Amino acid sequence: MDVPTTVSTALEDRPVSGAVCLEAGAGVGNTTAGLLAAGASRVYAVTNDAAHAKAVSERVARAEPDRTAVLEADLRSLPLADDSVEIITAHGLFNVLPPESLDAVVGEFRRVASPGCHLVVDDYEPLPSDAAIRELFALENATSELARGRPALTFYPADVVRRLFVGDGWTFDREWTLLDPVPWTENHVRAHANVARSFASKLPDELGDQLAADADRLETAIGSESVGEMYSIAFQYPE
Amino acid sequence: MKTRPLGETGHDSSIMTFGTIALNWLEQEGADQMVELVLDRGVNHFDVAPMYGDTELKLGPKLRQHRDEIFLGCKTQERTYEGAKRKLEQSLNRLGVDHIDLYQVHGLEYEEELDTITGEGGALEAFREAKDDGLISHIGLTSHSEPQLILDAIDRIDDLETLMFPMNPVVAGKDDADHDYEAVLERAAEEGIGTLGIKAFAKGPWPSTDELPEADRPYANWYEPVDTPREIEERFDFAAAQGLTSVVSMGDPKLMAMVLDAATRYDGMDESAQRSLVEKLRHDESPVPEQLHH
Ligand SMILES: C[S@@+](CC[C@H](N)C(=O)[O-])C[C@H]1O[C@@H](n2cnc3c(N)ncnc32)[C@H](O)[C@@H]1O
Repeated sequence: MDVPTTVSTALEDRPVSGAVCLEAGAGVGNTTAGLLAAGASRVYAVTNDAAHAKAVSERVARAEPDRTAVLEADLRSLPLADDSVEIITAHGLFNVLPPESLDAVVGEFRRVASPGCHLVVDDYEPLPSDAAIRELFALENATSELARGRPALTFYPADVVRRLFVGDGWTFDREWTLLDPVPWTENHVRAHANVARSFASKLPDELGDQLAADADRLETAIGSESVGEMYSIAFQYPE
Repeated sequence: MKTRPLGETGHDSSIMTFGTIALNWLEQEGADQMVELVLDRGVNHFDVAPMYGDTELKLGPKLRQHRDEIFLGCKTQERTYEGAKRKLEQSLNRLGVDHIDLYQVHGLEYEEELDTITGEGGALEAFREAKDDGLISHIGLTSHSEPQLILDAIDRIDDLETLMFPMNPVVAGKDDADHDYEAVLERAAEEGIGTLGIKAFAKGPWPSTDELPEADRPYANWYEPVDTPREIEERFDFAAAQGLTSVVSMGDPKLMAMVLDAATRYDGMDESAQRSLVEKLRHDESPVPEQLHH
């Protein structure tokens, strides 16, 4: 599997080789693959989504069974011991964490971090106000709020993430721009429209149909758009 | 247009190399105008080959008129001494000049070919003889093949001065050894070898001939090219930012003005923008499974 350049860049100055790693919010396994390629001794790939756990197992873990453990678990209460990991990665995780989950997740990171542990948080800056794709994300959030009472996406500025972890005892190390602009391709736009449509299908018919039609319209109208910024922030926990 | 040292040849090549195959699709008058245009924009490195139809003949008149302003690269697919010697003579005759600056082994594909070329009675003997006789000045090699074969060629040809190989964001996004042209770039830099990038503007292979007959293709390119000013500029910038000496223009003359424009305005490319392009193309290729993020 090709490791995305966003992942390989974010990891390139981290001492991954030989380290025990926590990949927080494993998605479909891009960062798990990046950590393994960079020589991690063990990667705990944690996700609360069963389909993602399966995807990571099939795409990545199967080829590296001795170095990978895919855990279907909640980041707010990790099934890992205190002081047990040397690298934590959160690549594209924070934008799917609603504000009320932040405190518990940050607390768990600190608990499992061993002294000297490295933390890498890669995520998106809030989009500029004239970005066309904002409307699709707004629809995604609206349908998500209506269907399950929380937003689908929250874009935390790099400065906020930095203060959050520094406030919790981590030392800031560096901040990089991974993508500028961020290429939201037709595939991404379709995937986000699919999320909105799937939440819409859980709503009362009339409202749901209306919002699903909006998703169709926005998918076509936006097509693809390169806009915004993706950042990478690295921290270290004091020895 | 900016220039960069072509390895240790002593020549500073423009960051765009004119792929003269474009002349093959033009009548003589149009071909003459095209050469004047690229020279006017500051291009000083031309690349030609005998198998590009009438290209050598069409390039001839303007090449002879501006011989001192043009660093001329030519190439041969012959692998033996006799074949290469004959082809070089033929190219000199068809171009109507007495000297070619850079003569290249064209399209190296297999390890066995490297044995033939470097062995007794191989093409390189003809190249070296021509160099001694003042017919050519420098020896180069071109290949679309695996990076490892090109690295082997560097090891086995001591007097190799330039390399031509593919470089674009699709290739750069692939991690496997079969696409590791970055390793070639690094090695070339260490060895003082000049580097020329091809396929910078490739969008992908043409659809199958069932879907799109060859006669219905809109561009005279080996591959389907990107064809908007913005994409052409992004692709040029990306290729030039990888550290190549020069980026070879596309085969189709209709797109030449856009490539020249991009090359003239080149002013580096931020790494975050380079990654943006790599990621865009990676996701365009429909990754499975569907992804919301980068
Ligand atoms: C966008 S993906 C991350 C991409 C991934 N890091 C990669 O490199 O491919 C976000 C992941 O976080 C997981 N996630 C979100 N909230 C979570 C939580 N509270 N506990 C566990 N996993 C969570 C989601 O299930 C999803 O797998």
